[in-house]
Amino acid sequence: MENDGLVLKATGLALAYGRRIVLEDVNLEVRSGQFCFFLGPNGSGKTTLIRAILGALWPRAGQLWLHTDHARRERIGFVPQRCDINPTLPTTVREFVLLGLVGIRADSQDRVERLNWALDKVGLAGLEHKDYWSLSGGQRQRALVARALVRRPSMLILDEPTNGLDLSAEDAFLRSLATLNHEEAVTVLFVTHDIAITARYATHLVLFHSGSVESGPREKMLNRAALERVYGVLVDASCDASGAVTIRVCPPGGDP
Amino acid sequence: MIEGFLSSWTLFHNTYLAGWLIGLLLSLIGVLVVARDQIFIGAAISQASTLGIALAMAMGAWAATDTLSWMHSDGFLTILAVAFSLLAALMTSSAGKAGGESHEAITGWVFLASASLSILIVSYSPHGLEEIHRLLASSIIGATESDVWTFGMLAALSALLLVAAHSRILLFAIDPAMAGAVGMNVRRWTAAISAWLGLAVGLSIRSSGMLYTFGCLVLPALIAKNVCREVRPMFLVAPVVAVGTGAVGFVLANHYDFPPAQMTVALLSLLLMVAWLLPRMRRGTG
Repeated sequence: MENDGLVLKATGLALAYGRRIVLEDVNLEVRSGQFCFFLGPNGSGKTTLIRAILGALWPRAGQLWLHTDHARRERIGFVPQRCDINPTLPTTVREFVLLGLVGIRADSQDRVERLNWALDKVGLAGLEHKDYWSLSGGQRQRALVARALVRRPSMLILDEPTNGLDLSAEDAFLRSLATLNHEEAVTVLFVTHDIAITARYATHLVLFHSGSVESGPREKMLNRAALERVYGVLVDASCDASGAVTIRVCPPGGDP
Repeated sequence: MIEGFLSSWTLFHNTYLAGWLIGLLLSLIGVLVVARDQIFIGAAISQASTLGIALAMAMGAWAATDTLSWMHSDGFLTILAVAFSLLAALMTSSAGKAGGESHEAITGWVFLASASLSILIVSYSPHGLEEIHRLLASSIIGATESDVWTFGMLAALSALLLVAAHSRILLFAIDPAMAGAVGMNVRRWTAAISAWLGLAVGLSIRSSGMLYTFGCLVLPALIAKNVCREVRPMFLVAPVVAVGTGAVGFVLANHYDFPPAQMTVALLSLLLMVAWLLPRMRRGTG
């Protein structure tokens, strides 16, 4: 078996909350530099797998192997689905982003360097002293990514981070992620429901359905049969060389 | 005014020191309470602690003095005060799970049940109602040297913990969901901080009463929230406000012969109003 660049490997993995088994017999490999999208309906286990990768949920069975770089989770950055901060609490972009350094030893100079680097990468350079609550929705989302990036992660995990963003904010956000993926070789695991952005940005896909997963390169996975298995409706998705995405959903009983 | 205060030092130094140390301790913990928007929990825990004291008094009145003399001791009152506040802290912190009751509902229940039961339990005890009213109104005049040592050590320990684990405590206070994602056991952290809150409030209620305890828990932290631009400096500003206002309050109370606890809480309330109004006035003139 070729192990080059392998950063995450699940073998026969089963995950459960109490007696409720969410995922069973998950076999999955993620390699360094992949822009890997987790796609599937609500409750299909996407966030559950993320929680297991983050170490917040122990496998019921099987193995979840992480590269030594990630074993202590110091070089994993996480962007949650939503940020439940008390909105009356005063905080600046600087304080908010530096919260991401919990569990990492960094002196004051290192902290400043990490902060500036992370803000620069998400296009918020120069805003470190700004009140966090004065940022727009898109900027707050990018601040969340900066908080994950301040750990200098080699793997970035994002759980439906584009929810609530308008089209232009979503586009700017995804472009900055793609740049990170290309320029810094950051492996990205991106949970979403959005087939259009999957078709445009994914290099690899993990499809979740009925308690199991299928994975592979986008070209192999993003097809009508696989999407029908996941969503139960006929969907065609394609992305041309210019990046234009076409999604066709078949009406019940029809043909896309 | 200052001379009058200094001349009262010999007689009331334990009261003054205990009052300031309680302010220091509770204002530090209060930042966490305010940051997590759980102010009402502070009130409920204080009230539950009063219920513990009421129960201890009722048991003391029922118990025979010769065989169960320990039930008449101050230590027994303190133990039940702390036990009930710990229980309330853990109950309110473990609420809010999906499918269960909300934090607010459980906290409201703890507050109302404790408030009503503490009066009912002591209704027929000699001096019972009087003692409960004293606790609710607050009086720190009777603080002892052991109170000073106890609150001094608890305040020092709290400050040490905050320094040693400031990043984790800050993340837990601001964004517990993220804290869980980076490997912190949020449930254990919540239980530990609730236990700390319960211990501090339980001991403080016994020494200084409900008004002073609840006032020092939330008002300095709320003032700090309104004058700071970040959460981290709130952990410095809140204790400075608590101890500073306590010093001014005690001097004024001594000079004008007012109760010191009420004077301090009134000053803190006034400061909070100023902290609320100042930014609005600046915006108005800007």
